[in-house]
Amino acid sequence: MTPSMRQWLPPLFALAALIAPFTGWMPPYWITLFNYIGLSSLVALGLVLLTGVGGMTSFGQAAFVGFGAYTSAVLTLDYGISPWLTLPVSLLVTALGALLIGALTVRLSGHYLPLGTIAWGIALFYVFGNSSTLGAHDGLSGVPPLRVGTHAIIDPREYFVVVWIAVVLAIVATRNLLDSRIGRAIRALRRGAVAAESFGVNAPRAKLIVFVYSAVLAGLAGWLYAHFQRSVSPGAFGVNTGIEYLIMAVIGGAGRIYGAILGAASVTILKDQLQNILPWIIGSTGNYETIVFGAILVLVLETAPSGLWPLISGPPPPPKLTRAPDVPLPQRPKPAPGTPLLQVNAARKTFGGLVAVNDVSFEVAAGEILGLIGPNGAGKSTTFDLLTCVQPRTSGTIVFCGKPLSGERPQDVARLGISRTFQHVHLAPDMSVIENVALGAHLRGSAGTLRAFAHLERKEEAALLNNAKRQLERVGLGDQALSLAGSLSLGQLRLVEIARALCPDPILLLLDEPAAGLRVGEKKELARLLRELRGEGMSVLLVEHDMDFVMSLADRLVVLDFGQKIAQGAPKDVRSDPRVLEAYLGGVA
Amino acid sequence: MSEALLSVGDIHVSYGRVEAVHGVSLDVPKASIVTVIGANGAGKTTLLNAIMGVMKGKGSIRFDGKAVADISLEARVANGLCLVPERRELFASMPVEDNLLLGGFRRSRAERSQSLEDVYARFPRLQERRRQLAGTLSGGERQMLAMGRALMARPRLLMLDEPSLGLAPRIVRDVFHIITGLKDAGVSILLIEQNARAALQVASYAYVLELGKVTAAGSSAEITNNPRLVESYLGLGGASY
Repeated sequence: MTPSMRQWLPPLFALAALIAPFTGWMPPYWITLFNYIGLSSLVALGLVLLTGVGGMTSFGQAAFVGFGAYTSAVLTLDYGISPWLTLPVSLLVTALGALLIGALTVRLSGHYLPLGTIAWGIALFYVFGNSSTLGAHDGLSGVPPLRVGTHAIIDPREYFVVVWIAVVLAIVATRNLLDSRIGRAIRALRRGAVAAESFGVNAPRAKLIVFVYSAVLAGLAGWLYAHFQRSVSPGAFGVNTGIEYLIMAVIGGAGRIYGAILGAASVTILKDQLQNILPWIIGSTGNYETIVFGAILVLVLETAPSGLWPLISGPPPPPKLTRAPDVPLPQRPKPAPGTPLLQVNAARKTFGGLVAVNDVSFEVAAGEILGLIGPNGAGKSTTFDLLTCVQPRTSGTIVFCGKPLSGERPQDVARLGISRTFQHVHLAPDMSVIENVALGAHLRGSAGTLRAFAHLERKEEAALLNNAKRQLERVGLGDQALSLAGSLSLGQLRLVEIARALCPDPILLLLDEPAAGLRVGEKKELARLLRELRGEGMSVLLVEHDMDFVMSLADRLVVLDFGQKIAQGAPKDVRSDPRVLEAYLGGVA
Repeated sequence: MSEALLSVGDIHVSYGRVEAVHGVSLDVPKASIVTVIGANGAGKTTLLNAIMGVMKGKGSIRFDGKAVADISLEARVANGLCLVPERRELFASMPVEDNLLLGGFRRSRAERSQSLEDVYARFPRLQERRRQLAGTLSGGERQMLAMGRALMARPRLLMLDEPSLGLAPRIVRDVFHIITGLKDAGVSILLIEQNARAALQVASYAYVLELGKVTAAGSSAEITNNPRLVESYLGLGGASY
């Protein structure tokens, strides 16, 4: 599918939705079927975000449909409130419910999270079924229809328009959210949570945003369901229905927006048609459709493991870069060259009985390149983790810009102006290079989720992406901006990490083996860049094993061995230090 | 050049619609070291992956006179091909010894225990750490384990992708020492190495890969003295950056 087709898809879709039922080409039965598909699409869309993008598998979405449906049913039946007024209330109740459940659930990891969703999915089903206010297992009936003026929207053709307008709005909002600063953070979480947090993303909060948003979409489906069906009973909100919604999202293509609609349509139509056709073929009244449905499901998952939508549309499109004029981002004031920037005093880290960093002290001045060298396993990367608060230190003090670090989280350290790369590359391989880099500028944007829905933050977003593009050009990878990160070589990925680390406009840059895997020509370019950064007043703490590279670049060296500092000083002095020769360089230097 | 153990003819490898390796041919003679030099993104890792069967390539791959281009990865291992990948890819939550034993999965029990002895003799450090989890090893030990695990399969051709990556200078020397020792023991080696100068010191022949094509090939001495290659890939020993 070409980019221009993609652009026209939502408006065409919307137009088709408004006209289709009135053309007379659609039999009433199919109109009703499509109303149900629309309702399921909304729930599946939430799951696309939650499961496909956010990596959180939920079997309990049907319960949130129940929240929306019951809220509106009770308010319209018992209090006579207009359904239009109950819409915001339904969504709010669902959001609050999701916030509470999510706060308990999203911190679960691995298979505990899906199990958690099954648990509260079952529990809520029985809450609906046992509450007399909610009509217990019989549910509530006689729910009033939606009205425009005095006209009641009862005809499925008219309701079709309401449902599909809701679906189109949900698609636009979801697309906008994913294509934003918040969306980028959400997408990065599944494959690179450590890196995302190091650049200021509050991971639990981002997960909670996805969780609540997907629940609100389910709540919206519930509200529509209540006033379409005109009755509400717990059967529609159990775990079985929750599993079905998940199947829709997976079949359509978890992570793909239009996959939600394709999945909802495929599953709904398939189940319906099997019910019609099978008795005619097999000639009995058993529940064969469930068996055949299961077999078809397995076949589809075998042949299209990433869902049906990617078969039609191919891989997701890369982001567009020039959407708004470039506005420069505010710069961080840099301390005067030579003034003390970082003071590490007796920093210590133990893992059980093992002392990984043993009372190490050193300083970094503003505008200085300090090399941190030592054998493999000497504690260099652990020292980086202590500086960035990825791991808590056992004892000792670290002062940055005159401010002692104590109990900060990685995202707080990023805010203070410390930026890093990782020894083992932490990038999201299924995101484009430019988006991976732009994640580094997360803290330089301020637009939140609500503005992202309406794309009211385009200026800021353009500034963030343009900044990312500039940093990518600085490391010499400007032409790879739109490639998938997973398609680059390991050496190139290290440079992408440096570009990302430059995005927040840091004061101190921590580079963990930046030259590893680079060839001579590429190393020369990197050295030129690091000197340029130093010239701009940035300080660099450099872990690197290429001695020619470190010796010609660093102003001073600190040498670690078995977690202890064994030497420090000018490169030429360290190079001839007998302890360094013995532990690290191995006799001849 | 003596008789080729591995002979790759006009191989093309693609990621989806993007071709990364455009018709590369190369030979690795028996009991010799051949190195592939090139920038990041030139297609070196992709080439090794295609030879190993990790990725699908189009073209001919003959190993010891047999066409192996259409056989599975496991069958290539059984034939004597082995790759030590750039990222090591150890079984981090298993002890060192289990990692090694898995490397000899296709061999008989007797061969496996013999290989284990050989590997421990070559890497005494691994024997010291045999009960330790692979994920807790230092960078140098990881590389030794990755090589040791490959040797457990008793390969006749060992492909090493960036064996010195992330290793301290002292350990780098050890690794190169081991590579030479393997060649002397009759194992052919196809080597990709960031430190091209060191690679050329142990290799007898080199190919230069640029943008997915072989742009130069020759004996190590010829390549070492090519001024254009010195500028981009080799540097002047003890270069200043």
